[in-house]
Amino acid sequence: MSRSMVVRYALIVAIIVVLLFPVYWMALTAVLPTRELLSPSPPLLPDLGSISFDSFQRVFELRPVGRWMANSATVTAGTVVCSVVFATMAGYSLSRLASKVGLIVGYSLFAVRLIPTTLLVIPLFMMFSEVELNNTLRSLVIANTVVIVPFAAWLMKSFFDSIPVELEEAAMVDGCSRLRSFLTIVLPLARPGIGAVAIFSGILAWGDFTFARTLIQGDAGTTVTVGLVSFVGEYTADWGALMAAGLLSIAPMVVLFILLEPLLISGLTSGAVK
Amino acid sequence: MTLVTDDRRRAGAHTGGPRRSRWRPSLSTRNNLLSYVLLAPSLAMSLVFIAFPIYMIVNLSLRDGKTMIMSEVGGLPLTLDNYDTVLSDPETWHSLRISAVYTLAAVAGAIVVGLVTALLIRRRLPGRRWLRTLILIPWPIPGSIATVGFVWMLDGTYGVVNYLLRAIGVIDENIAWFFDPQTALIGVLMPTVWSAYPLCTLMLLASLQSVPDELYEAAKVDGAGPVLQFRHVTWPAVQNTAVLAMIVTGLWTFTTFDFVYAITRGGPDGATQTLAVAIYNQAFRFFDLPHASALGVVTMALAGSALLALFPVVRRRFF
Repeated sequence: MSRSMVVRYALIVAIIVVLLFPVYWMALTAVLPTRELLSPSPPLLPDLGSISFDSFQRVFELRPVGRWMANSATVTAGTVVCSVVFATMAGYSLSRLASKVGLIVGYSLFAVRLIPTTLLVIPLFMMFSEVELNNTLRSLVIANTVVIVPFAAWLMKSFFDSIPVELEEAAMVDGCSRLRSFLTIVLPLARPGIGAVAIFSGILAWGDFTFARTLIQGDAGTTVTVGLVSFVGEYTADWGALMAAGLLSIAPMVVLFILLEPLLISGLTSGAVK
Repeated sequence: MTLVTDDRRRAGAHTGGPRRSRWRPSLSTRNNLLSYVLLAPSLAMSLVFIAFPIYMIVNLSLRDGKTMIMSEVGGLPLTLDNYDTVLSDPETWHSLRISAVYTLAAVAGAIVVGLVTALLIRRRLPGRRWLRTLILIPWPIPGSIATVGFVWMLDGTYGVVNYLLRAIGVIDENIAWFFDPQTALIGVLMPTVWSAYPLCTLMLLASLQSVPDELYEAAKVDGAGPVLQFRHVTWPAVQNTAVLAMIVTGLWTFTTFDFVYAITRGGPDGATQTLAVAIYNQAFRFFDLPHASALGVVTMALAGSALLALFPVVRRRFF
């Protein structure tokens, strides 16, 4: 290994240590006893003997973290399914329609980005009250899908753009209908794109705070983000339990991300973000 | 495409098959038909849940009185007072200033971290996939939860950041980050930048990788050091992407709410009250929906004109 390579690795490791310090600190807080942490000079490296997983046990007694996770999982699953279906259909059509339509949709996409979610949630709140959808996880699925689909459809469009039209034409020459060639030829080829969109929308749905904070009032429908934030004010002293809850609530998405990162990156960089 | 139809017609004419007698729309009509059918659900959804809500916001912003019930909105008298209140309220301009500082600082931070990380992992090196994944880890972490983590790190008494800053001699006494109007915005900015930089890394990395290595070799032969190489090879190649990344990050920061609301909710003393947070507070703390809507319309107009000014760059890079 050349010297410049060593320097490069050292720099990369150094910056990763700095950037991932918040996650490390969260983990360390969760496994160290509170009395060690509540010190003006907390230990940067743990004494391995004092590691314990009590905080993880305690947090389930303090707060219904299990239910929060289940709620978030329900909302995320619903949103991913809806977003993927809508975005795949719209993305294909944007890719194959005249470029003018695509352009209009592209501009409207930027327009959608101008709307703060805190503003959009006002009429959504009123509309959902009107049809008694407030306080349901379904309302969160709808709200999240609405804001995710514009981006997701654009991602899918650029993915479909990379699949040559000639493939479908060839199938149609052989007597395939347009719909069948879409289902049997294009869709299987678009699987990586669909995967990327699924992770992308999953991350956004799991992380939603604005909608979950506003459209759900009771405790029954609390998601991890809202639950954890409500935890801060009430148990400020119990940082161990709080960080344990934090760690649990980021774990599913972080693990998925680590496993599927190449898929997400290739899906994102194939078009929209070039 | 025309070739295909011609062949079919000819084949039909030769065999005299049943196809000729049945009317079928031309191939291109059928193609477009499927496209429109596939687009319809998303379009319908956007009309109901984006276009109609925008109309509702404009409608609400022109009403006199407070209500949270949709069917009552139509009964309220029309007025321009809400805009008058919003535009003459010093708090609006205070929030605009906070939003501007917050957005610019977050964009600057995210683009610097994004550029440094992208440059470091630009070249092929063993294990790059895992290094890249580690660098992008903040991406899947919800902003509100990242903020909770930073609240603990920035704690006024036991926070590790205070400890580290004391250890290296930057400060003598602990800072109560989120309770001091002087530092609250900096406290909120930290998790914001932390959540925002991965997208910048990714966008810049994609464009850096399109720069051929030969350019760097040539620059080296000509005696250019790292700084000159960056100025004359790297930067020209990535500047458009960097500008686009800044616009995307800027829009995202300008409209985000999670980081502020997860801890300060706009305080202390309005020090972190961005426009997005001000809208939310007006609507769901003071339950003044018309005021919140007017403020929202003004906010969107401001963001829209800023974007319009940057439009040439967006068009060049994005379409």
